[in-house]
Amino acid sequence: MVEKKAKGLARAKESYQDPSYRVKQLKAKGKKIIGYLCIYPPLEMMTALDLVPYRLFGDIREPITQADSCLPTCVCPFLRSTLDLGLKGKYDFLDGVVMAHACEVGEKLAHIWRTYLTPPYSFYIDTPHTKHEAALEYHRKLLVDFKKSLESYTGKELSADKLEQAIRGWNQQRALVRELYEMKKPDPPLISGVETLQVMKALMTIPPEEGNELLREVISEVKERKDGPKKGTRLLIWGSIIDDVALIEMMEESGANVVMDDTCVGSRPFFPDVEMTTDPLDDLARRYLLDLKCPRTFEVAVFGETKKNYMADLEARFSYVRDYAKEWNVKGVILYGLRYCDIHGYEVPQIKDYFDSVGLPSIYLEHDYSEAALAPLRTRVQAFLEVLR
Amino acid sequence: MYFVGVDIGSTMTKVVIISQADEILSRVIGPTGAEHRRLANEVMAQALTQAGLLFEQISYVVATGYGRFNVPFADRQITELSCHAKGVSSLFPSVRTAIDIGGQDAKGLKIKDGNLVDFVMNNKCAAGTGRFLEVIAAALGLKVEDLGDISSRSTNRVTISNTCTIFARQEVVARLSEGVRLEDVVAGLHDAIASRVAGMARKLKIEPDVILTGGVAKNIGVVKAMEENLGQRVFVPEEPLLTGAVGAAMLGKDFALKALAEGELVQKERRLEEVTFYK
Repeated sequence: MVEKKAKGLARAKESYQDPSYRVKQLKAKGKKIIGYLCIYPPLEMMTALDLVPYRLFGDIREPITQADSCLPTCVCPFLRSTLDLGLKGKYDFLDGVVMAHACEVGEKLAHIWRTYLTPPYSFYIDTPHTKHEAALEYHRKLLVDFKKSLESYTGKELSADKLEQAIRGWNQQRALVRELYEMKKPDPPLISGVETLQVMKALMTIPPEEGNELLREVISEVKERKDGPKKGTRLLIWGSIIDDVALIEMMEESGANVVMDDTCVGSRPFFPDVEMTTDPLDDLARRYLLDLKCPRTFEVAVFGETKKNYMADLEARFSYVRDYAKEWNVKGVILYGLRYCDIHGYEVPQIKDYFDSVGLPSIYLEHDYSEAALAPLRTRVQAFLEVLR
Repeated sequence: MYFVGVDIGSTMTKVVIISQADEILSRVIGPTGAEHRRLANEVMAQALTQAGLLFEQISYVVATGYGRFNVPFADRQITELSCHAKGVSSLFPSVRTAIDIGGQDAKGLKIKDGNLVDFVMNNKCAAGTGRFLEVIAAALGLKVEDLGDISSRSTNRVTISNTCTIFARQEVVARLSEGVRLEDVVAGLHDAIASRVAGMARKLKIEPDVILTGGVAKNIGVVKAMEENLGQRVFVPEEPLLTGAVGAAMLGKDFALKALAEGELVQKERRLEEVTFYK
């Protein structure tokens, strides 16, 4: 294999187009590659033991032909596609998988994956769905189990020192991602939505120190460039996973600039740091349960107030997205749901009410995770842009 | 100055020519079809003849509908959502909610001060569109334009599922074989399409006045069923197929006059030529 020479955006694009290229090189050098689903498995615990985490993705361009034999068709098409790729042998390079109870399908898939694909190592984290004190304690206990499991797999001890060092490395990456997103605040932004997605996806398929290097290259490149995006209607996109550029490309070709997102191959997994106190496992348990914002977690404390004051409830749940909209100066919000993504589906009527109440135009788009299904969305996007003009 | 709106829908192609005083000088409706679709320029030529105009006298052409990118002689493409909103509010200024049921899609539009402010569209499924009625009319050997009159004789409407065209068709055949009267089955079909589209439109928080447009609005049975489902009066324009083309022409006028005022109206080099297709 030839070492790739590309830097910055070109390197991100290459990595986006061939996501497993780098980990296959690393595997050839003896590294263990651990596939993970969703944003809930704590990556720090894996990299602290020199394992290379690799985010599992689907492929909207590949028809699902095998997964239907072991998953019902009425569930998340992204996860069906991911399993389909697994069944077709495209994840055979993995040494193990770590999956969490991100959503109901994610939970079942963790077990189905182990049944049909029998990876050498696997671990399932039963991440709680609510934010009580008891849930936090339970989550910490699960991470202790995960620690023991990783220790017995690697034969190494996961010391507090190693973990803290790993946390600092990932926090550095998070700071660099936030710095990259600052480049999206000017009008026009210095980096397009398509390019941003390529960088974010690349970060999830390479070790963190290489990701940090890539981010530094991209940041200095876009600061200097003269061929950046042209002016367009500034949009924020909130919703289910987007792991292919086709949707964002269609929006940007129609005259939009996707300048901010709240999605899980975007700002969502990177914006909150791990706040470091005295016990790194405590810190990880808190960060991954309390600080990550995803509709998969039910905001139970706030829910207690819902009947008394609906608007206050909405404010508590969604004001961070409104803050993004203000800071990145967007004109409209795309609410994006994958078909059968119940966790986002539950939120849509309420987040729409919230944006209506603060006077920010929004539109809901549902996509069934295939490239062909983008055509009908084009008319909706173009009409939304006409509304915003 | 004269302005043209060309609305290429999945089933019908509509052309409207208006004057600067918003007077409608001609309106022509022709089938889009598989082959006829190439002939949008002929529908356009008919409209010019009707208005007694030459193509060179036209100041601005806006194309809309799902075939909007296939019109080589258009100055601009605008989505059918914006065009319907404009067309509807120019004809009925009091309308706040418009529901359009066409050959292959259904949409709900929220209109404020003459502008589109929000919308919903059906997902990729024939149920809740004109195709639903066409498929079932064909299965029964009926003409789709007769369905409205047939249903008006109904006294005991049956319930037909609104989720799938194929299932509904099987249900219709089953009901008829049980001896249910045709008019009661057809009335059930109208309620099925109306309840499905009303359910979708409700996401917009419907405000009166409500108008129903698109080819399906010509079916009095669906209009009545929609009124029942929404619990309020539903208006229908005299020619419900044309609101998109009228709106397209009017938006074209707005663009042309604005460009003229700014000294930027450039007459585009264009010829009346055949519809082009995506490569």
